[in-house]
Order: sequence, then C-alpha cells, then structure tokens
Amino acid sequence: MRRLIVIASALLLLTLLGIAWWDGHRVKPIALIPTLTGKEEYCLTCHSDLPEISKSHPVKTFGCVICHGGEPLALDATLAHSTLRGGANPADYSVVQANCGGTNCHSGTAATFSDDIQRSTTSIQDTYAGAIAVMRYTYGAQSSLQAQFGTSAIQDPLSTSGITSLKMFDPQTETNPELRLFGQNCLTCHLSAQPLQNGGRYDHFTGCAACHTPTQAPDLTSVNTKTATLVHQLTTAIPYTQCDACHNRGNYDLRTMTFQPRTDTATTRLQDYYQPIAQFTKCEWTLDCIDCHTRTEAMGDGSLYSSKLDIQYIQCQTCHGTLTSLPKTRTLTDPNDLAFRLAQLNPVVTLQLGDTILVTDKGEPLWNTRLLPDGTYHLVGKATGQVFTFKPVMGSGCLQNPDDQSSASCHQCHSVQR
Amino acid sequence: MRPNFFHHLHPPTIPARQARFRYTLAAGGLAVFLVLVLCVTGILEVFYYIPTPDQAAQSIQTLAFLVPFGGLVRNLHFWAAQFLVIVSLLHLLRVIFTGAYLPPRRFNYLLGMGLFVLAVLLDFTGYVLRWDEGIHYALIAGTNLIKSIPLIGGLLYGSLVGGSQPGAATLIRIYGWHICGLMLAAGILLVWHIFHVRRDGGIAVPPPHLRASQERISRFELVRREVLAMLLASVALLILSVFAPAPLAAPITVDSAISATARAPWFFLWVQELLKLGSPFLWGVVVPLAVLLALTLIPYVFPKPSETELGKWFPKGTRLAQVFFVGILLALLVLTVLALLPMS
Repeated sequence: MRRLIVIASALLLLTLLGIAWWDGHRVKPIALIPTLTGKEEYCLTCHSDLPEISKSHPVKTFGCVICHGGEPLALDATLAHSTLRGGANPADYSVVQANCGGTNCHSGTAATFSDDIQRSTTSIQDTYAGAIAVMRYTYGAQSSLQAQFGTSAIQDPLSTSGITSLKMFDPQTETNPELRLFGQNCLTCHLSAQPLQNGGRYDHFTGCAACHTPTQAPDLTSVNTKTATLVHQLTTAIPYTQCDACHNRGNYDLRTMTFQPRTDTATTRLQDYYQPIAQFTKCEWTLDCIDCHTRTEAMGDGSLYSSKLDIQYIQCQTCHGTLTSLPKTRTLTDPNDLAFRLAQLNPVVTLQLGDTILVTDKGEPLWNTRLLPDGTYHLVGKATGQVFTFKPVMGSGCLQNPDDQSSASCHQCHSVQR
Repeated sequence: MRPNFFHHLHPPTIPARQARFRYTLAAGGLAVFLVLVLCVTGILEVFYYIPTPDQAAQSIQTLAFLVPFGGLVRNLHFWAAQFLVIVSLLHLLRVIFTGAYLPPRRFNYLLGMGLFVLAVLLDFTGYVLRWDEGIHYALIAGTNLIKSIPLIGGLLYGSLVGGSQPGAATLIRIYGWHICGLMLAAGILLVWHIFHVRRDGGIAVPPPHLRASQERISRFELVRREVLAMLLASVALLILSVFAPAPLAAPITVDSAISATARAPWFFLWVQELLKLGSPFLWGVVVPLAVLLALTLIPYVFPKPSETELGKWFPKGTRLAQVFFVGILLALLVLTVLALLPMS
C-alpha cells in the first residue's frame, strides 16, 4: 500500500509539473484598453498580426469589439467569435448600424457629413432599384420606370426624389418566368450580394466594405492575376480594381438571363479597364474611378432613386468645362468645408485655406484638384497619388459643336482604341 | 504509531472484506473528498465571481482565461461537481444493491438522499451562475417549472426569482443559495451522515458469527487507502481539467433568445425529455418528485433481507428493491439518451 501511495504521489507530482509546463507555454494574453470604451479586450492575443485598419480607426482608440462585437475577454476562438456581429465583415448592411452607426460615427447627419449609412443603404448601388424597375417595366410587370422594388424593403420618409419607400423584390412572386430568372441570376452585384466566387479575382466583402475594404490588387503582370486577398483595411483611397470587382467582371446576357463572367486575362491596366464594348477616353483608364466620381454618386445622397442616371452626373465638362465656359471652381475659405475633411481622410493632397479647387454642378468639392496660377489644373490620383496636369477645353482647338458637350460627344474624338 | 486527527475520524478497525474497493466502490469517501475540492476551489472562485447579470459571465471569462491558474481552478470545480453527482449516484447504487439501507441505517439513508438532492441542487445552481447562453434554457425552464405549481407556484417563483422574470435579483439569490444556503444544509447533513455511519455500526456487515472471515484492517490502513484514492482522484481531476475545460458561452443579453438546440444540464436531461410530453407541472414537477419519493421510500416499502445477507452484493432478500431501482435508472437513462438525440 505504501508503495502504491508513493507511485500515486509521484504521478500527482508529475501531473502538477506537466500542468506548470503547459501553463508556461500558453500564449500570453495581450491586453488592450481602447480609449473609446475603457474596457479591456484581448483580441490582440491572436490578432496582433493584423494591420491597423485605417488611420481614422486606430486600434488604441477603437479596439476591436466596438466595431466587430465578440467576447473581449475570451481566449478561446469559438467563444471569442461567438458574438461577432457580421463575422469577418462588420460593415455588412445587416449589422452596419450596430457596428458602424452612432451619431458620432457613421449614422449622423448630412450637416456633419456623417450620414454615410443612411446614404449608402438607400443608394442605387444597394437597392438595385433601377435595374429591377427596368426589367419589370420591360416585361410588363409595372407600367412605369419608377422604382417600386429594391433588393430589400426600405423606407425613406425624408426622400427628396419622390420615392419614399421600396418593397423587397421577390422573384418568386413574379408571374413572368424571365423576371424570375432575372431575380435568380442577375441580382449578384448590389452591395449586399455575396460575390459569385470567393477568393477569385473579383472577390469582395458586402456593405460598406464592398468598396472601402479593397481586396489586395492582383499583379496584372503576374501569372497569379486571378487571385485577390481580402485584407484588414478601411480606406477612402479606393483603387479602380475594387470597382472592377462588380463593374468589370463580366456581363449579363439578357437573352438567357444569365451572368457571363469575363474569360479574357488582362495583363495591362488598359486591357483591364471597363466593359469591353464601352467607349472611353485616356483619362478614364489612367485615373481611378473615384478621381472623377464623387461620394454622392457612389453612395447616394440619402434619397431613393429609380435609376443611376438620377444620381450619376459627372461629365468630362465637370473638370474640363466647355468651349464657352471654364469648369466651376471654389476658393476654400471655410475651414469646415467638406473638401478639408475628405482630404484629411485620404491625405494625397494638402489643402489650405485660399486654395481654389474644382467643384461639380451640385457644388461637391473635387478636393483632389487645384487651379494653378497659369490657368491649368492639377489632379492628384486619390488611390495612386499620381499628379496629372490638364487644361480647360475653352481656348483649346476642340472642334466639337458647342451644343454637344456631353461626355458621349467627347468620346467621338477622344476615345481610346484597344 | 500514534493516531493523528485524521486517524481519529475513523473507527479503530473495520472488517477487511467490507473495506475492499469492490464492495464500497470508494464512493462515500470520494464524495467527501470531492466536497472538499469543491469547497477549496469554490472559495477561490468567490474572489473573482461577480454576481450581476451584466458581469457574471465576463467575470467567469476573466477567471477562466486571464487569472493565473484560474481556468484550472474553475475546471477542477466543474469536474469535481460533475463527479460528485456521479459518485453520489454510485454510492446510492451500492447502498441499494447491498441492502445497506435497512435498519438501523434507514435514517442515514434519508440523510444520504437529502445530500444527493443537495448535490444536484448545488450543481444546478452553480451551472446557472454562469449566466451565459449555455444555461439560458435551464434558467428559464427551471424557474417556469416552479411557477407551474398550483397555489404556491407564484409565491415560490417570486421568492426565488425576485421579479416577473429572471434578472439581477434571481442571480444574487441563486448565488446566495449556492454558496451559503445549500452549502450550509449540505455541510450539516454531511457531518450528520458521517456521524451516523459510526453510530449505526460502521459499514453494513453480517453479524460477527456469520462472517466468512474475521479479518479486520486498522484505521491506519483505511486512511492509507483513502489517501491513495484521493491521490488518484486528484490526478484524474487535474488531467480532465487541463484537457476538457468547463463549458462557457456568450453572456445572456437583454434581447437574446433561447437557442432552439438548448439543453438542460446532463443530470436534468431526463426532465427536459419528460417535458415534451405535456403539462409542465405533471412532467416537470410531479413525476421527478415522485421518482425522488420512490427512491426515498425504498427502505420502508421493500422486504428486509436476513442478517446473513448483509455485507455482500445483490442479496436475494432485496431483489425486488434492486429491480425497482434498476427500472428507475434505466428509465432515466433512456430519457437522457432521447434528449441527447438530434432534435427534429
């Protein structure tokens, strides 16, 4: 018996030593107390390798939990992630209000330029209301092109467009088989739609992150052009490749109501650019989409619309003017001008009071441009930082009819041949 | 050797045949050891546990993940509690299958049943103290069962829950019951139970003239055997605590709904299965209490074996009681397995 007790004691000692060794080799918790919450969280124990998501959201200020949810104290992956809001993507529209909302964050007011969630969730890029209206009108399901349906039901009592609500488009309730097919096969590129191919060249998140979390751009000259990586990043410097994730991945074949993915393999930016059938100018493929298209065009103005044409309004003349007029400009005199805020978020330029920048017809600042003393203009690429100098049309040798100053008319002479 | 304090807690000698592991299963002694482990680990947990709805689960996460060896202490507490229920059941099984519940041990059988009920209640209240989604179902179902009792259900519910639904008052009351009320009762019953083992003549054995062997072991040998059992139990508890952590889930929040796959703790799965049959009061209160009553009345209802049959397994004189007990165990086992099957 005594011998058995000695053996059992040795066994117990060995077990205790084993536990001490095991404890010594466990990952040491990494604590973080974000200044915004003041509450400890330990996500960095496993996620310290993630890059800072953006300069506007420093991890020391925000931490992880305020945006992602999750169990801040848990060091067990399953438990820690069990209460994540939106999984890896807190900006999905189903959870965006809880994660990114708040009057001090992204569901504030238009006056403080912080109504981002209201604008983007009513935008044509999310509702897809224009395409749905066109299809239903074409197949006789509705008598006008005014939008009645969106990808989800949405109310907007303050809408200034005359459309105050959209019902959820349900293909199953449509009597026309083409519309049912359309619903099944063609609603794949609104902001809440999952990408058709995970991990592919056109992979992307949903919601705000569809645009603001760019996939790591593939190297066009590499044989691995089809791979893209989703990264931990939020940015307003959105490269054209991110827009391509939806807008350049193929076409819809309306005869078969199917999506036809691109089959070509682009090796240059020019080949990669835009729809194969489109006419475009040099600046349209050397610049990034966001260098010309404004936040209102991309994210809407908070009202519901029936067509992208109701909200997309930038033309060549916005920057270049016409034969008879120079483009609109604004000299920055108000330190609270939106231009300063946008330049601060993406500091490719340093704006100062007194600078003169181009503005759109609606008064939106093209904050990455500047009027130079010699009458020419600078544009700094928002995603590339590349500087472009350009001239107004007025005073140039342009032979276009003064009454035909739309972009389509410019394309008659200035389109690029591939 | 001069007996020390621990030796004096034991009789000077006991019959060798009935001191063997194959007779006692070491269940009674292990139960006492597990209670000691639970007391020590429980006292350590008290320093970190915060009994408020918004902090309870997080304080357990702090203990489990961040306090040095806190997870080990919590896991030891968890596993000791689970084994206490199992070992208590084994102890009951041994008592029934050896006819050890008969006079003069009938009263001690009642004390033992009281301890068994307290062990289950302590396990259940400890389980609820997690205050996370893993226990949400049991909390709601358990408290609603109390409400279903006619006439006094409302009063009982109010006194336990402290409001119209489980909340801060419920948690602090369950905490109070767990660390104080139930523990005090269990402590008293445990000492009384152990005292009665000595008072009733020690472990059940045949009269001296009917024993096959007159061999006895000393209290020193008995203590050595207990030490060996405790050492081995400690190793088992430690290994389980390292490799099988006690369950945790996300905290219960104001708007959280009970999961469709939620389950009761394992020792109440049979009640959960019974509840599918209909009336909560009948199947959730009356039937479980009837099972408890039936087990409690075994020494008073079934025929006594002769003295010659004492001190050995499966005496013929208590065959009916054995079959009855096996029947109840099988029914509970089948219900538990049914409750574990994937929900349709």
